[in-house]
Amino acid sequence: MPPKSKAAPKPKGTEPSKQPTPTPSPASNTTAVPATIAARSQFRYDDSRPHDAARLKIGLAGLPRDEQAAWISARFARTPAARTRLPPKAQRELWRQVNEASFPVRALRGSKHSWGRDRNESEVSGYSAERFDEREGRRAQLTCLEVASRGFRERREREGKGVRDIVTGDKIVVTEAEVEAERIRRGEMAALRSELYGTVQGSFALDPEWDDIVPIPQGEPEAALAAIAYPADYDEAISYLRAVMLKKEYSQRCLRLTETIIEMNPAHYTVWLYRASNVFALKLPITDEMEWLNKVALVNLKNYQIWHHRHLLVDNLYPTLAGNPDELARFATTERKFLTQILVQDTKNYHVWSYRSYLVGKLGVWGSPEELKSIEDLIDDDVRNNSAWSHRFFLVFSDPAHTTPGLAATEPDPAAPQDITDREVEYAKEKINLAPQNQSPWNYLKGVLVKGSQKLSSVEDFASGFVKGLGNKDGSEAVQSTHALDLLAEIYAEKREKEKADLCLRRLGEKWDRIRIGYWEWRRKCLEEA
Amino acid sequence: MSEKSKTLPQELRLATSVHVKYIQSLDTRKDEYEYWLTEHLRLNGLYWGLTALHLLGHPEALPRAETIDFVLSCQHENGGFGAAPGHDAHMLSTVSAVQILAMIDAFDDLEARGKGKAQVGKYIANLQNRQTGTFAGDEWGEEDTRFLYGAFNALSLLGLLDLVNVDKAVDHVVACANFDGGYGVSPGAESHAGQIFTCVAALTIAGRKNLVDADRLGKWLSERQIAGGGLNGRPEKKEDVCYSWWVLSSLEMIGKTHWIDRDQLIAFILRCQDPENGGISDRPGDMVDVWHTLFGLTGLSLLEYPGLEPVDEVYCLPKSTTERILGK
Repeated sequence: MPPKSKAAPKPKGTEPSKQPTPTPSPASNTTAVPATIAARSQFRYDDSRPHDAARLKIGLAGLPRDEQAAWISARFARTPAARTRLPPKAQRELWRQVNEASFPVRALRGSKHSWGRDRNESEVSGYSAERFDEREGRRAQLTCLEVASRGFRERREREGKGVRDIVTGDKIVVTEAEVEAERIRRGEMAALRSELYGTVQGSFALDPEWDDIVPIPQGEPEAALAAIAYPADYDEAISYLRAVMLKKEYSQRCLRLTETIIEMNPAHYTVWLYRASNVFALKLPITDEMEWLNKVALVNLKNYQIWHHRHLLVDNLYPTLAGNPDELARFATTERKFLTQILVQDTKNYHVWSYRSYLVGKLGVWGSPEELKSIEDLIDDDVRNNSAWSHRFFLVFSDPAHTTPGLAATEPDPAAPQDITDREVEYAKEKINLAPQNQSPWNYLKGVLVKGSQKLSSVEDFASGFVKGLGNKDGSEAVQSTHALDLLAEIYAEKREKEKADLCLRRLGEKWDRIRIGYWEWRRKCLEEA
Repeated sequence: MSEKSKTLPQELRLATSVHVKYIQSLDTRKDEYEYWLTEHLRLNGLYWGLTALHLLGHPEALPRAETIDFVLSCQHENGGFGAAPGHDAHMLSTVSAVQILAMIDAFDDLEARGKGKAQVGKYIANLQNRQTGTFAGDEWGEEDTRFLYGAFNALSLLGLLDLVNVDKAVDHVVACANFDGGYGVSPGAESHAGQIFTCVAALTIAGRKNLVDADRLGKWLSERQIAGGGLNGRPEKKEDVCYSWWVLSSLEMIGKTHWIDRDQLIAFILRCQDPENGGISDRPGDMVDVWHTLFGLTGLSLLEYPGLEPVDEVYCLPKSTTERILGK
């Protein structure tokens, strides 16, 4: 800035322009409005320093005489020496020359200013003036919102401290409306930040409801052997989970937090357990929780935490149903409906089936005709569903009404009723006929005969029906079911018809089930040694 | 690869070096979605990878000191280990931790820098329900025969099996036996090869293998082999390489491995490997993962595929480890 003291006379002639007008000047070559703000700044800079560009290129000595003089004068005029060393007359002459040259008296300093980058990593310096002004407008908007948001947080803080309002004298209360306004405000701020800087705001940081919780970030050792990297929003949610689990908070917002995490990663083990704690601590209706769980289960078929969670819920619910047979029956029915629904999607899901056997035991519904019918329907749909067969065996032969406790699984049970054994044998036979090579009903048949203390040979005719011309070398040997042949070998062994048994086993190893020849040969050896 | 395996045709060769590289690369995939989704298996994953490397004859391929540091960083005050730092202690990760430390001979570090063997034993023993003999996975009480087997496995490696009621646990295993000779996850549950392994191995560790109906079970297990040579886990399900372990080790324990077709199974497992990028998948053509890589290799080891270290069929650890610790 030129020294402005009373000693320096006011320059005569035209007032030195305080702002360069955007008109062509000797220093710049632009003939139109600068395209970018960077160019505009450059223009302003150059414009405030006429001759500088030329001087830098060709040196002061290279400039024409009058430009040289102008540059030197302007330069000198800025120094204190111009006032202190020059007598008044010389000063006047100096200023006259400066005015004639119409230099901007104030030369802009070169700026290393950077406007940064936008959300697309483009330099803001490349923006046009309009676009830049628009951006600056939005930045101003963001600043205003930030001020208001800060005001909200301060009000919250004061509320927490029990501070009274200066004007009314009442305790400060942050209303729902204010919280909602803040929530909206933060949404707007996040949107602006995203638009301007591309920053992504975690939804928890956005939510005023979570202001009191300081999230605990992942604290793994540097360069851990098996370090974990998370997407930002999952990371944030887990950080909040750590914080609330540490302080053992049980609340609606924690429940919602668990739901959010489960949605992102249903296999996360701990979050399910914490959710259960919340459900129980808040004494939420178990049936509501189960309805929610049903939805989650249907889209996460391979997840086993869901079924353990259900297990915990049932354990918790059972005492309230225990004394009331109607309630129990109703619950069994709704559960069966859901199990049927989910098994349609994944008929052999091991977790679902093991839950089902747990439920049968818990509710004591072995003898339930509906349960039996439900399993029969599944076998009708797919006679090869081994899970359904296994469950049927459990229903029938683990029913405490007619089961001797403590027996081994493959031991005969004298308590098994004859009529039930017969019924099951007939059922197995019926299903075998539908698909003779299906393994499940053959295993089932043998299991039933053993449990029911029946001789295997009681089904000799049935098994024989699947084998024709055994041992014939003329191509007339036909085996519809290797399991039938296997059973026949056992039957013949039981009847001490060694040669016939051996033939079955030999043909199985040679032709009909060669992959298991090791087993068939072992059976033949046992036969020999018997 | 040994000399013998070099003379095998291309399709029967194990791509050892790429498998080693694959396992080593696992901890560098921190930005993969799959990686953070499986955080709750991190320590287990380390056990799977390390065991595989040992069987491939490359135990040094994962840095020993860092491995010990990571394992110990998962340990809690109560002696139990979580699946990753910051995760709650659980039986399964505790068992993996013990198995890893056993393999790299680091029980001394557990004593010196960790909470010590006794504390680990105490954690595991406290998870047994003294009334029923069953084991829970953690304080939440989910029960599963896998936890029972895990407890027996880890405690016997630590020399602390007497901390638990073995007889009651054995009774529970017997209660999980089914009419078809198999075992389920709980009484009444369907026979499943994975559960069968845990039950039979638990009975073996307890010295009560005689309680298994070996003939019935062996037959059921031999039926797991389907036309392509692969094994499934239950009747009418698809084959999966991991059953090369669950089924095969069970057969090995009851001495009936010859009841399946070895060559066809070897060929199946080898078809499941990715010979370019390494790793083994559940069936040919699918994406590989470290779980199936391990169990494909343990299967091949049990089938005495040349060039692989022998695996202990009860502990799923290199035989060199179990021999060193248990003097077997």
